[in-house]
Amino acid sequence: MTRSPVKVLYIDDEENNLLAFKASFRRQYEIYTANSAAEGLKVLENLPVEVIIADQKMPQTTGVEFFKSIAHTYPDPIRILLTGYTDIAALADAINHGDIYRYITKPWNDLELHNSIKNAHDAYRSKIDLRNKVKELEKTNDELNRFIYSISHELRAPLVSVIGIVNLVKMEGLYNSSGEYWELIESCSNKLDYYIQKTLQYYKNNKNVSDKSDINFEKLVDEMIDLYAYSDRDTQFNLNINQTHPFMGDSFRIEVILGNLISNAIKYQKDSGHHKVVDITIEANLLSAEISITDNGLGILNEHLEKIFTQFFKAKNNKGSGLGLFIVKEALNKIDGKISVSSSLNHGTTFKITIPNAK
Amino acid sequence: MPNKLEKSIKVMLIDDNIIDLKINSKIIFISKLFDEIIQCQSGEEALSYFNTHSDQPEKLPNLILLDIQMPEMDGFEFLENYKRFPAKLKENCIVAMLSSTLDFGDIHKAEANPYVIKLLKKPLYPAHLEALFKAHFK
Repeated sequence: MTRSPVKVLYIDDEENNLLAFKASFRRQYEIYTANSAAEGLKVLENLPVEVIIADQKMPQTTGVEFFKSIAHTYPDPIRILLTGYTDIAALADAINHGDIYRYITKPWNDLELHNSIKNAHDAYRSKIDLRNKVKELEKTNDELNRFIYSISHELRAPLVSVIGIVNLVKMEGLYNSSGEYWELIESCSNKLDYYIQKTLQYYKNNKNVSDKSDINFEKLVDEMIDLYAYSDRDTQFNLNINQTHPFMGDSFRIEVILGNLISNAIKYQKDSGHHKVVDITIEANLLSAEISITDNGLGILNEHLEKIFTQFFKAKNNKGSGLGLFIVKEALNKIDGKISVSSSLNHGTTFKITIPNAK
Repeated sequence: MPNKLEKSIKVMLIDDNIIDLKINSKIIFISKLFDEIIQCQSGEEALSYFNTHSDQPEKLPNLILLDIQMPEMDGFEFLENYKRFPAKLKENCIVAMLSSTLDFGDIHKAEANPYVIKLLKKPLYPAHLEALFKAHFK
């Protein structure tokens, strides 16, 4: 890739220096010279200069003063100051007022100056690249937000219509009219809806926005049970919720955590003729909420216990998506919560969670 | 409802999606909670229904089920227009939103709107409709 040569502006009141500079570097760089700060500014106004070299000792405006004056109007070009050996005060000033990349003592050494310009240009490039990357990321992020919004509408709306039609079929007593086809349509639709909802939860959890609000655990648990036990009315819930203090927390994430665990407790049950029980205990005080959710369902194999929180892990013969517990873990990470699990195959599973009170 | 003495209770459905309009009308019909269903395919159509029947209170709905995402005039814009109606058009009418949205912006906006008594989720379940009916029409 050929790149246009680096644009260098050199400001010095001594004409000889300007000529010497041009003679040494005209092959490597695109050089512009000015014999005063005012002249230099004119060049800056017309050209996208990448590196500025200024002499410190100039009659009206010194190099440092010039750099200070353009700090806000032209922040991008990289600055190099040329000073005499003895000019310690100017050096201190230059360093204290930041924005100077290098200083070179006069008379300069061609190789040293050449390297400095090269490095300065690299610094310039990375500054600009970084800014472009940020801009690009902002754009991508913006597109992603719109995409997620359209998933939550355009993609889900027709699916919800299908589920509505299946409900109508049930209400009109036609559910068993075509063998098991309606049942299959229903189960596929619910699965797809579940994936869409989990995808949105995962995405929203990944964003760092966290809004703290008052959490009423009793109300929240009731809502979650209402939501997830809707399709399965024969699970018995034993609630023991004791909230002694107001609890501040991230309502979205706490809802996601409780919702996924409660829905799992309902879902991973033995097939038939079994009295399903879910115990939920919550102790919420000034410091934290200790939550325990126990079911008497299928249980989890010992060798699977470590893997259940990883993305897309599914146990054989299970109807899960491999997302629920992964999202629970991710959400807990964001709010400094902890989770532990114990299980005995065919007897049930207990999840214990600790969430700090963000008050 | 010839034998019924109390006045009939009407529901208005506003939804740009014809399929959803059909599904939800059918669910409302099967639920037998309402005596009449007014279907509108857009917010504009609903507004003009109110304008046309402004001096016939017996034709006005008692409940509006309002979709959020609609082209041109969405549910919230409809509410902006609705709120400018004279009080007598609105006094016997409540509004619930009916949407498949999972977007938190939409949900918060719906909950914050003083005219919206509830955000119902699609698919509409007769039990949810019945709970709303019992809370406001009994």
